[in-house]
Amino acid sequence: MKTKRHILSSRLDGKYASVWVSVLAVVLTLITSGIILLLMGKNPLTAFYSFLQGCGLAPKANYGGGSGMLSDLSDFLNYLAPMLLASLAFIVGFKAGLFNIGIAGQMLLSGFAATVIVGYNRSLPAGLAKPLVAVIGIAVGGAAGALVGFLKYRFNIHEVVSTIMINYIISYLTGFFINNHFVDMLTRTSRICSPESRLTLTGVQIAGVNCKVPFGIVIALIMAFAVQFIFERTSFGFELKAVGRNIKCAKYIGIGVGKSLVLSMTFSGVLAGLAGVTYYLGYTNTIIPKTLVGMGYDSISVALLGNASPVGSIFAAFIVSIFQQGANYMSSIAGVAKEIASLITGILLLYASCGTYMKMKAHSVILRDASREEQRKEEET
Amino acid sequence: MSEYIVEMRRITKRFPGIVANDDVSIGIRRGEVYALLGENGAGKSTLMSMLFGMYEPDAGEILIDGEKVVFHSSNDAAARNIGMVHQHFKLVDNYTIAENIVLGIEPMTRKFGIFPCVDIKKANEEIAELSKRYGLEVNPLDRIEDVPVSVRQRVEILKMLYRKAEIMIFDEPTAVLTPQEIDFLLGIIDGLRRDGKTIILITHKMEEIKRIADRCAILRHGRLIDVRNVADTSIQEMANMMVGRQVNMSQAKDEPVFRDEVLKVEHMTVKNEHHFDVVSDVSFSVRGGEIFAIAGVSGNGQTEIADAIAGLIKIAEGRIVLSGREITALPVRERAEAGISYIPEDRQGTGVVMDFTLRDNLALREYYKEPFSGKGILHFEAFEKYADELISKYDIRSAEESKTIMRSMSGGNQQKAIVGREIEEHAKLIIFVQPTRGLDIGAIENIHRHILAERERGAAILLISLELDEIMALADTIGVIYSGQLLKIAPASSLTSHDVGRYMMGVKEA
Repeated sequence: MKTKRHILSSRLDGKYASVWVSVLAVVLTLITSGIILLLMGKNPLTAFYSFLQGCGLAPKANYGGGSGMLSDLSDFLNYLAPMLLASLAFIVGFKAGLFNIGIAGQMLLSGFAATVIVGYNRSLPAGLAKPLVAVIGIAVGGAAGALVGFLKYRFNIHEVVSTIMINYIISYLTGFFINNHFVDMLTRTSRICSPESRLTLTGVQIAGVNCKVPFGIVIALIMAFAVQFIFERTSFGFELKAVGRNIKCAKYIGIGVGKSLVLSMTFSGVLAGLAGVTYYLGYTNTIIPKTLVGMGYDSISVALLGNASPVGSIFAAFIVSIFQQGANYMSSIAGVAKEIASLITGILLLYASCGTYMKMKAHSVILRDASREEQRKEEET
Repeated sequence: MSEYIVEMRRITKRFPGIVANDDVSIGIRRGEVYALLGENGAGKSTLMSMLFGMYEPDAGEILIDGEKVVFHSSNDAAARNIGMVHQHFKLVDNYTIAENIVLGIEPMTRKFGIFPCVDIKKANEEIAELSKRYGLEVNPLDRIEDVPVSVRQRVEILKMLYRKAEIMIFDEPTAVLTPQEIDFLLGIIDGLRRDGKTIILITHKMEEIKRIADRCAILRHGRLIDVRNVADTSIQEMANMMVGRQVNMSQAKDEPVFRDEVLKVEHMTVKNEHHFDVVSDVSFSVRGGEIFAIAGVSGNGQTEIADAIAGLIKIAEGRIVLSGREITALPVRERAEAGISYIPEDRQGTGVVMDFTLRDNLALREYYKEPFSGKGILHFEAFEKYADELISKYDIRSAEESKTIMRSMSGGNQQKAIVGREIEEHAKLIIFVQPTRGLDIGAIENIHRHILAERERGAAILLISLELDEIMALADTIGVIYSGQLLKIAPASSLTSHDVGRYMMGVKEA
């Protein structure tokens, strides 16, 4: 007798368990947030559909002059790029057993450095400025990550503690410089950077509508496959995974654990740095002083929803970005405060982190059914 | 009155995936020592956990004094005068012995006739008296953290006596004791029997059953194989019934052929994080073709010796020389490549990555070398080939062969994988720490055979074990460690297990 419970359990216990767990997490999140929306007296279907409309994934009723569905989609990809990079940053640390909570700070620091060094240098041509922005992102993010790894290795300071503290330091330090030197008196944010330095081309006409061309999404996708390759195919990735899964065993087989910790944090920081420059010199072109972007934290739920798999996180980033990026339009259509997007992301994180529990539960259901089946057969004979 | 004080009828208990007890019926007479013999996983502990109320049986019934009982918790069992000494003691370290014993049923008094207080003075007196009566020799005022394992065990026995237990269950009581302590414990058990108590002894050691038990039930794979009178059953018969086939009780061991000195440890001192000497001024050497065994009670510095030689911990003083080359300052991997293999004590915590597949775990010593990788890229075909080779050579059994996740394999097969991986390095020195702890007879035989084969090959073998039987069976030379010092180094043939036991307790001259 195959019950629904059994079928669901066998999915969660089978070969593609991780995929099914993520799918289940998304379904449960939609149900839970749907209930919340119902309690607020709103129609959840309208709300969910308008999230898609806001991201250019479904047509809106009407568009403003010069824009269309493609404009919204290009906006969405522009947001997706740093989101994916940030979640890759988290994954790289996570695989080596490190919980990098400092992604938001590392993004801000590299975005700030690239803005000041390249963004305000009006003489650089685009062909030089754009690669330089990426290089600065890599260098500054990498250095910020390496510092955390070094503190952990040398002084045994837990990375969660050090990254939280460093987040504050970066936030206030860059805020101080922006307010004193680089502030736009009108917007109270940093002065915008030159179009030459920005990693997103704006105002490009495609199929008759105004679109953005984000280079970041290309970088992000390449990085996703590169990270996947490193962890699946290289001895460097093999060592990082061994350190992450069992640090005592890694020491015992002679892996340089300290070096691995520093390298993985550096690598994580590099990706966070790239996320920073694609955010601050791509998605936006200005920095709000003393503010860490929520994306740095959303990236953790993306990584967990994607089961800490780089390719899985492409899909996870896609889903989370729909809620974040579509929130404004949803808010105007369904009349729900756009903060609901963060609430939904939070619920998603909650269900995604129950993944191991779901798998375990499924496994024990399967075993119990099997032993009952056995018992039944025995009794028959 | 019923013939049996305890009767378990047609007990069946299933856990997900296995049947732990399958239609088991036993009857235990008042005042006898009844042994339950079986390998790990045979279902002895599960059966007794049901008698002690920790699990409820899926089918079958339990009778105490001929009266049917249903236990929902161990409190219910305690109410019927059943007590149990678990393998891992359940004591509060920073409480005194008396406090531990009365915990839960403290004698109360009222100070000034109003305030309820624990009458610890009365408890101390009662316990001192109880201890004297049964020859247990404990001081009720000592703290648990200050007393050795054997005394802690006696505290557990006192706990049962204090609770007026008539039926006492001992789960593997001798696993942590030296031969002298075992003698003492068996004497206590005999005294309890003379006092009319009923004793149930869970064990896999036939010698003890022979010495103390009246009857013995043999369990295998959850089924009751037979119940025998101990007096008419030989140790060999018990072993065969326990395993289900003819067992070779001791491995044939050839005369040693010693070769050149491989490992030389000179005046080695190791300090722990509190700068306290855990190994102090230890010197010894191991030749090729020699099994050098370090005997000692757990926690006397033996694992630190192994870790220090393998390079996992730094030494404070001294030198380590491998085949004439000083390796004191080398990192772990260079030592491994210089010719050291190491089977660590904590096989799951240190020896393997539990979330990796069997294939990846078998390649842990090789993954960075040709043909397993080239230019930093892993070649999984080589991994597969190597894994398949080791799986058949070392008889490693698992559900999905090389793709099995380590975590889902049995302890015995995990250990076979580690032993196979380390032996395949064909190292000059192989360190085995507790290589057979918790394994069944089949796996123990398998591993002992490999150890002897490596000795034959000419490897130097450092064997560290808490099982004195294992040391006596395998060692060519025995070093006895006590409190971080090697008290005695002598050829195995010149020592009896009682001599070794005395040194293990710190006696300088036997």
